[in-house]
Parts: sequence; C-alpha cells; structure tokens
Amino acid sequence: MSAVAEQIAAHGAAHEDAHKGNALEQLRNNRMGLWLFFVSEAFLFGGLLAVRFYLWGLTRPEVNQLIGLAITTVLLVSSLSMNLAETAMEHGDRRTFSIGMIITAILGILFLLGVMIFEWGLFPAIYPAHETPWGNVYGAVVFAMTGMHALHVISGVIFIFIVWNLGRKGHFSPESHWGVESCAIYWHYVDLVWIFFYPALYLIGTAVH
Amino acid sequence: MNEKRTAAYRASVTVGLVLAVLTVIEFFVAIYLPGDPAILFLLAIFKAVAVLNYFMHVTRLWRQEEGH
Repeated sequence: MSAVAEQIAAHGAAHEDAHKGNALEQLRNNRMGLWLFFVSEAFLFGGLLAVRFYLWGLTRPEVNQLIGLAITTVLLVSSLSMNLAETAMEHGDRRTFSIGMIITAILGILFLLGVMIFEWGLFPAIYPAHETPWGNVYGAVVFAMTGMHALHVISGVIFIFIVWNLGRKGHFSPESHWGVESCAIYWHYVDLVWIFFYPALYLIGTAVH
Repeated sequence: MNEKRTAAYRASVTVGLVLAVLTVIEFFVAIYLPGDPAILFLLAIFKAVAVLNYFMHVTRLWRQEEGH
C-alpha cells in the first residue's frame, strides 16, 4: 500500500515539475515575443527620429521649454508609479498595486492632455497653437512624432485599465503575473521612446522663429 | 518579506530620482550649452540604460532561471 502511495506521490511531483517547467518556458517565450515587438517598434520611432534630424538638422521650432520639462516629468513619474505597482504585485501587495496602476493611468492621461493642449493647440482658448501639421516641416515633424507617441500612450492607458481591472477581480499573484509585467514593460517602453523624443523635439538645436 | 518589499520600493524610487536629476541636467545643458547635442545624446542614453535595466528588466531575457 505504501509503495503505491509513494508511486502516486512521485508521479504527482514529476507532473508538478513538468508543469512548472512548461510555465517557465511559456514565460520566456512571452518575454521574447514582447521584446521582438519592441525591436520592430524601434524601427518606427527610429525612422521618425531620422526624419527629424534630416529635415531640421540643428534647428528646432520655438517651443516653451518649461512645458516640455513639465510633460516629460509627468511621464517620468508615471514610469516610477508603474514600477512600484509591478513591484507590489511581485510581493503580493495588492493595495499598492491598485493605487500605482491608477496613478500611472491618471499621469498618462495628464501627459496626453499636455500634448493635446500645448503641443497640438487643440484648445486655443487655453493655449494657442504655434504649429500645424501642414504648415511647414517643423509642424509636420512635431505632429508625426508626438502623434505616433500619443497613440502608444493611449493604448498603454487602455492596457493599464484592463490589467488594473483584472487585478481588482483577483487575477495575478506573486507567482504568476505576466499580464502585469508585460503592461509595465510596455509602459516603460513608451517612456523610453520619450527619453529620445524629448531632447530631439525640445532641446537640440537653435530655435527658429 | 516586508523588508524585501521595502528594499524593492526604495530601489524603484532611487532609479526614479536618478532619472529626474538627469532630466533636469538635460534641461540646463540645453539652455547653457545650446550648440552641443552630444551631451544631450549621452544623457539620453544613460537614462535609457537605466530604464531598460531597472524598469524593463531586460536581463530577464537571458537569465534562464528567471521566473515569477
């Protein structure tokens, strides 16, 4: 009888090991897939940067530097809150996870509003537009770069709300939270792109009036 | 567990602060050294490496044992 029980236990342990091995393999594949997606995205954003330097050279449009710094700071802080949320889930701290995700989404929306109001001038009553997409190469490049980046911010915010809602319903655990990890990495990628776009749009070159 | 968690939060905040300081340095470099994009590129690369390493966990890609 005890030999049968031992056999069952051994079989169970082997099955559990195989399951863990498969889960780890799946996680590795997920990570590789996400990073390959980022590589393909890098061609898109790299192309936009190349366009900026080809068309503008060492010049740039006249922009409000403080507004550029402010919206950059908002995105930077959102990256920190996202990292705190991910760390919280890794340690089973669901409350901090929820708060971190919501703060990140709010900061992402604030960043979007900042771009829409101050970069695109969509609300002239608040801040008048200084460039149009069809006006000249400065406007065209500003709108192409910030527009493509904003699309990624919008998808990131949607992704955050989906993951936050799943977390709220009890999904994810310290042992299994690929959804949280991928959402966090995607959001940091959006921040990473802005790390290069910010100096390219606001800082490098002489302002042209 | 709590100590580990606190240490992890502290590391996140430290990286965030370093990124903030580098961003402010970028801002002042652009104002006081307007003709020098090389320094701005270098600062952007430092920031990118910090984000890739600490926030995006790029090293998990080649660490075979790294699970959740």
